Amino acid sequence: MVSSFPLTLHPLRLTVFKMISGYLVTILITILIYAMLAHSLNIITGHAGQISLGHAAFFGIGAYTSAMLYTEAGFPFWISVPLAAVVAGTVGALLGIPCLRVRDDFLAITTMGINFVVEAIFLYIPFFGGAMGIGGINLPKWFGREMSKPEYFFLILVVFILLLLIDRQLGRSWVGLAWASIREDEQAAGPMGVDIVRFKVLAFILGSAIAGLAGGFYAHFLTFIMPQNFGFGQSIVILCMVVFGGIGTRWGPIVGAVILGIFPEISRPIMEYRILIYGVILLGMMRFQPGGLLGPDSILSKTFRRAVDRPSCLG
Amino acid sequence: MALLDVRSLSKEFDGLRALDGVTFTAGEGEILGIIGPNGAGKTTLFNMISGIYLPSGGEISFRGKSILRLKPHQISRLGIGRTFQIVRPFQNLDVETNVLVAYGHRFYPSLWKSTGPFRQPEILKEVQGLIEKSGLRPYTKQIAKNLPLGFKKRLEIARALALNPRLLLLDEPSAGLRFEESTQLMELIRQVRDQGIGVLLIEHNMHVVMDLCKRIVVLDHGSKIAEGSPEEIRSNALVIQAYLGKET
Amino acid sequence: MLWQQLANGIAIGSVYALISLGLTMVYGILRILHVAHAGIYALGAYVGLFSFRLIGNFWLSLFIGMAGAAVAGYLVERFLYTPLLHLPRIAPLIVSIGLFTALEEAFRIVAGPHTLAYNARVGLGDLSIGSFHLTETQILILFVTFAVLVFLWAFLTKTRTGLAMRACAQDPETTSSFGVNVSAIIAVNFLIGSAMAGAAGVLIGVYDNQVWPTMGSLPAYKALAIVVLGGLGNIPGTVLASIVVGLAETFFIGVLAIPFPRDAVAFVAMILVLMFKPYGLLGKA
Repeated sequence: MVSSFPLTLHPLRLTVFKMISGYLVTILITILIYAMLAHSLNIITGHAGQISLGHAAFFGIGAYTSAMLYTEAGFPFWISVPLAAVVAGTVGALLGIPCLRVRDDFLAITTMGINFVVEAIFLYIPFFGGAMGIGGINLPKWFGREMSKPEYFFLILVVFILLLLIDRQLGRSWVGLAWASIREDEQAAGPMGVDIVRFKVLAFILGSAIAGLAGGFYAHFLTFIMPQNFGFGQSIVILCMVVFGGIGTRWGPIVGAVILGIFPEISRPIMEYRILIYGVILLGMMRFQPGGLLGPDSILSKTFRRAVDRPSCLG
Repeated sequence: MALLDVRSLSKEFDGLRALDGVTFTAGEGEILGIIGPNGAGKTTLFNMISGIYLPSGGEISFRGKSILRLKPHQISRLGIGRTFQIVRPFQNLDVETNVLVAYGHRFYPSLWKSTGPFRQPEILKEVQGLIEKSGLRPYTKQIAKNLPLGFKKRLEIARALALNPRLLLLDEPSAGLRFEESTQLMELIRQVRDQGIGVLLIEHNMHVVMDLCKRIVVLDHGSKIAEGSPEEIRSNALVIQAYLGKET
Repeated sequence: MLWQQLANGIAIGSVYALISLGLTMVYGILRILHVAHAGIYALGAYVGLFSFRLIGNFWLSLFIGMAGAAVAGYLVERFLYTPLLHLPRIAPLIVSIGLFTALEEAFRIVAGPHTLAYNARVGLGDLSIGSFHLTETQILILFVTFAVLVFLWAFLTKTRTGLAMRACAQDPETTSSFGVNVSAIIAVNFLIGSAMAGAAGVLIGVYDNQVWPTMGSLPAYKALAIVVLGGLGNIPGTVLASIVVGLAETFFIGVLAIPFPRDAVAFVAMILVLMFKPYGLLGKA
């Protein structure tokens, strides 16, 4: 990008441009990671209809796994990050299986509790670096040099698109159908031949693995991680993005991540009151537009439908 | 060997005996009526056969094998389909998708097979066939919650049929239906029976029961008080007493 | 020494009971996990504190704190929960979480992020018998909690409204068909539960001499664990579980000196009990 600029440009402008484009790429990567997180939570909450209030725990497990494999065991990025996904997914399975046999409300509390426990483990057990976290995690290397941020962005983007394609495939498969039936009416799904526990656990594993993957990407991008990044507050942020965009919709969570990721950056006051806004969004959206921005009953969808003036048909 | 063999089946809830030592059999290609005043334990009976409740005592055999400890999805895979008293289609999915969910029972056991796409021509054709048989063709793409009640009931049966059942449990299918609707539904049930599927029918509507069933079992307060043909049941003193109420 | 720990544990357990009861009562009647309840608790502390600053009397500040919390609880029920009862239960739960988050931030923005002192004195003085020592605030806590619990018990068992409330928790439809104004009962439920939380807020604020924006965070999840431990919707179970957790926390740290985060005790206790009694200590399916 920069190299194609006319060399007659004033050096200060060049630096400023570098700064801005560096800043821009940083935001883009952050939004992309959040999009991945929101999407992964949507698999659990939107597709399979299971409440998960501790999603940041898997984000953290992935980040810490990747960080420790890299700094302690010397594993390169290309191995540490996929392993982060595997570990997060495995923990998701282990926790998921007992969790998902319980009722709705218990699941909410349990997932919250898992978040607290995981954060506490990272905070109090010295092996994980304690409150100071882990540092010295670098961007991946390829072709003999360290990746640049824009290249890293494209790497994550490609992976994300692959994940979206897989998600689309699943949506069109019997798994997607099973998930839809569980989401609609769990008790009626069982007699239809759907093994409820198995498919719920599947959603849980997938969602937590992808969150773990995002964690790995995050660790190598931020270069240091701290337990506070993966607490209940973070889970709320992710949930907020999903709710805002629309639980269960394909693009809603991603749109939610983009909008809620960008706005604090472009507006100082919004950044200041970010957490208050997240709370109000959760509160307001669920109260007035539970389907989210892209949900079927939202103001946006209705306006759009009217504008396009589609004839109403039988579904 | 009877299709369904229920022996001394009992169920207790917190000290309350919902079902007490009920015994009967049901065969292929027959419609067995299960009647009795409210609270007799009819739905409890269905819930135990379909695996939702665990019996407190007794035995249930399906095609010679015990199905006592199986879970609902396992029982449905063995070939027992069921509809609910209060219809429970998947409200926000359309008719075709509803039936597809049930059709998928052959794929769900295998995780690998489950990842295959469901919009395959052969599969859609079979599902369409079921939809047609149940008289739901014009509503194929209609969202379930928008269906009139009579058609929701048909959807329930279509879904149950997609499970390839040998035995179908129908819980008050004609409840809430007008006369013509319930007559049409009765015709559908007869067709199901003619395919060789055994039907257990819980009904309050006596016209339907007497018309459809060659054999009827009567429950009252959890016990079986009579079993026989419609004529026998009609003139059975115990049955009449149970319905007219003998409590003081 | 043992008596001291016992007293400490029961004191702490009593406050937990005050908070958790509101939570279990709401669950019993609406089947909603009222996470924002902990925000009401903190609100009670703030309202109590500011009225104390204005008036200077502990008891008045306590009642005003309770009243403020009660009103807030009622508003939440009326405008946020009841309109959403037709949606799947995840909806009011998310609303509650959003409200709780917003409340904590609102406290921070309005009252400042720093800890404020709530040094109310009643003039009772402490109680000392040998090495056994109860501070004034501990006595207050035990007294207020005891009074509240007696009132609650009397209300639920002796009054018609209380009976109606218990009936509603069992079966709202049948109860309303008996002519009971269910929405009024729900409102009363929230008023009482929130008032108790407000009282807890004031008591803790005075006990620790600290009021700060996120003081509700820990009680939020602890109360949830306690309520599950005791059996969701089960009032005696919640009281029992609160005392158990209060004692467990005190003994683990005080007597056994296990290097275990004190605040994790509630959650661990919950998991342990759930393994053997999946519906809580006194809960039923």
